[in-house]
Amino acid sequence: MPSNTIVERVVADLQKYPPFDELASDVLQDLAQSVSVTYHEEGEVIFSKGDTLKGHAFMVMKGAVRLFDSIEGKEVLVDLCDEGDVFGVRAVFARHDYVLTAQVAEESLLFELPVDKIKHLLETNPRVSLFFAGAFAKSVEEIEHTLTEAFDIGQRLYREQSCNSFLQNETLEVKPVTTVITCPPDISIRDAAKIMSDRNIGSIIVVSPEKHPLGIITDTDLTKKVVSKPGSIKEEPVSGIMSSPVYTISGGKTIADMVMLMVKTKLRHFCITEDGSPDSPVTGIISEHDIITSEGNNPAVIMKAIMQASSRDQLKEQRDKTENLLQFYIDQEVAVHFISNIVTEINDAIITRAIDFSLKELETELERPDVDFCWLSLGSEGRKEQLLRTDQDNAILYADPPSGKAEKIHEYFLALGKKVTDILQHCGFVKCPADIMASNPVWCQPISVWKGYFSKWIVTPEPKAVMHSTIFFDFRPVYGQAKLAAELKQEIFNLIARNKGFLGFFAKNALQNPPPLGFFRNFLVEKSRDHANEFDIKARAMMPLSDAARVLAYELKIPEYFSTVERFKRLQVLVPGMKDLGAEAAAGYEFLIRLRAVNGLLNASSGRYIKPETLNKIERQTLRNVFSTIDRVQKTLNLRFQLDYIRD
Amino acid sequence: MISFFAKKNAVRRCRRGELPASICSYVNSFTGRSDLDMPLGKVRYVVFDTETTGFDSAKDSVISIGAVALSGSRIRVEDSFEVLIRRGSVGDSEAVTTHGLLLRDLHEGREEGEAVNGFLEYIGNSVLVAQHADFDVAMINRMLNKQYGFELFNDVIDTASLAKRLEKGPYYNLAHKSGEYRLDILLERYNIRLYDRHTAAGDAFLTARLFQMLLRKAGDAGIKTLRELLLK
Repeated sequence: MPSNTIVERVVADLQKYPPFDELASDVLQDLAQSVSVTYHEEGEVIFSKGDTLKGHAFMVMKGAVRLFDSIEGKEVLVDLCDEGDVFGVRAVFARHDYVLTAQVAEESLLFELPVDKIKHLLETNPRVSLFFAGAFAKSVEEIEHTLTEAFDIGQRLYREQSCNSFLQNETLEVKPVTTVITCPPDISIRDAAKIMSDRNIGSIIVVSPEKHPLGIITDTDLTKKVVSKPGSIKEEPVSGIMSSPVYTISGGKTIADMVMLMVKTKLRHFCITEDGSPDSPVTGIISEHDIITSEGNNPAVIMKAIMQASSRDQLKEQRDKTENLLQFYIDQEVAVHFISNIVTEINDAIITRAIDFSLKELETELERPDVDFCWLSLGSEGRKEQLLRTDQDNAILYADPPSGKAEKIHEYFLALGKKVTDILQHCGFVKCPADIMASNPVWCQPISVWKGYFSKWIVTPEPKAVMHSTIFFDFRPVYGQAKLAAELKQEIFNLIARNKGFLGFFAKNALQNPPPLGFFRNFLVEKSRDHANEFDIKARAMMPLSDAARVLAYELKIPEYFSTVERFKRLQVLVPGMKDLGAEAAAGYEFLIRLRAVNGLLNASSGRYIKPETLNKIERQTLRNVFSTIDRVQKTLNLRFQLDYIRD
Repeated sequence: MISFFAKKNAVRRCRRGELPASICSYVNSFTGRSDLDMPLGKVRYVVFDTETTGFDSAKDSVISIGAVALSGSRIRVEDSFEVLIRRGSVGDSEAVTTHGLLLRDLHEGREEGEAVNGFLEYIGNSVLVAQHADFDVAMINRMLNKQYGFELFNDVIDTASLAKRLEKGPYYNLAHKSGEYRLDILLERYNIRLYDRHTAAGDAFLTARLFQMLLRKAGDAGIKTLRELLLK
């Protein structure tokens, strides 16, 4: 047993700074126990760029540490951390080496925080994960990893394995201005200034007769070098005041590239030439403004605004903004897993805040019971696949109440459920028509009741009941005690293990919707009046895949709260013979998500019903391939569970 | 030399089964050769402090022990120790105002034998570190003698002497100005913020912070091995 006095001392130190300031005391004590204290003199290097990641992150308790990058032998200061700052967090999120060097700027006392502990905190504490998302987002430090990694936290929350494929290289291209205004070096400053004001531009590139860039004149040059100088130099040639040489780059740079370049060079204009060198013709220009406006579509900004929101209106505003972001990503053809990660993070943050607000409101209305609870997202939101706002599906799971208190506690969580679902509705998440929401007394229950529900579904499965209960099998903890959700999941595994027949029903249900293989010859379209001649992408293509993945995930006891794509990726590893099929199914499912989002954005709808004639050739082709994948997945399932022998 | 025979004697008593097993595992951990050439960064140091009923090591007794270990230069919170010892008295009013422990606090404490046993188990053959170590070691030894008939076998470092040595050189005589090496003064000089003063564990943690800085200073002064640090 470690010394209480010392642990409490460390708790008191940690508690002074976010994100540890709001942790429960038992959580803090556990963290404090794991801390090592180290002392460093000025100049000492804690880690160097390229070093293997350490097993801990660092918190500065005293002193200061500078983080810098080395570019071509020159040090570029990226951040200066002082008391309360956490650095070296890369060890928590990345798998590769440090990208910066940390050097002690003045003698320092550091706390080493074990990576495992931080990961555990991220899992169990939304506030901590929000903090680290924010901490990442705010630092230019690792901008290229920031946007993806910060929002990847949720992805890794409940699992070991992660898809590192998408961490790298998925950034957006900055579109340069290609109608570049240029001038020869011998025109007068006055003339150059006139061109700039006539054209309303902030810079002009000075070029040689071959259009090679020689220098650049910007607003700043004019102010500093001309206006503020005494005497008339306005008639002198521009070559006298231009900044030269110009920093030239080749085209196709991403936001991440450009932000890093800005940080490194401290320049605000970059000239694009044919081959990237100053000895080829100018083809475009990228200014700080272009970079920043690209950054305006930054999920981190939205996340931050959500974290700081003080009203439901602000939450709605940010969720509406997310729709623009989604449109932007879809237009830019950003990978679906990246998009769904970000949208899920944002949705989760909105739920988290909605719960924060509601808990606060309830303080004056009801006594908060001393009982753990967990907010569950269900269905597609539970699977982290909700790009467009669709119906709410959620539930509250809470620890079994002490005897005699059941009613009061139920009343409290029901009140919470009502408030939260109201806020979510306000933010554009329509209430579930089937009333599968935390505001429904049936779906706001202690864990023993939830176990009873699942037991009923699993022990005495009826085809119809199975169909209706699938949504619950995709629960995912979003707020509160994730361990309750884990306990429930374990119970489901146990129930399934004891009731062998269930998986058969479950699998049979997954085969309800055979894929329309004859799509091109005779469209399999809906007959109902509302959606006549439209194709139901959800029922006909997505559900067959998500249902199959769910069955196999439960059969193989995959404990994580996975998306369909993640489930297929895991199945690839777990099921011999599904290596290629799993990859195909995952890719196919991503394609469907994208198609649905495109369609939904186009028609301002949920995107579920697609008019086949609106699809282009490639989309049709891909869709057909996906159908054949679905067919093979269903055959696999059929074989695995010998479903041909099960009768309805 | 005395320690050598004491050790042999204790080992013999262990072999005859005259000492409890947990005590013997402490004793036996000293039978191998201690590796004095170990680099400073590899050593486990246990920084400890005692609160006592007074300052007479012949008369007064220990009422609490607090300790924290460093593995090399790293203070490991997990590897810390704290124990209260049940006593009939908490000392005179002067002692009470220092340590702040009341008789009723000590009711929660453990029996002396159990407490000492736990401490030995925790320290093992690590290098002990304490501020004005002589006093704390004497206090522990008095309990050990009474309970088990031997004294601590560990190497001991006194932070006050070490600070003096590093600041002034090994033979500097400051006996007449010993006040400059009181814990409060040292902590202030090394910019360590005071808190939890006069709880055994609190003082041990502060002393560990001080020792951590002294270790670093020692390294800078060319002291690389335990032998050099202990001046053996």
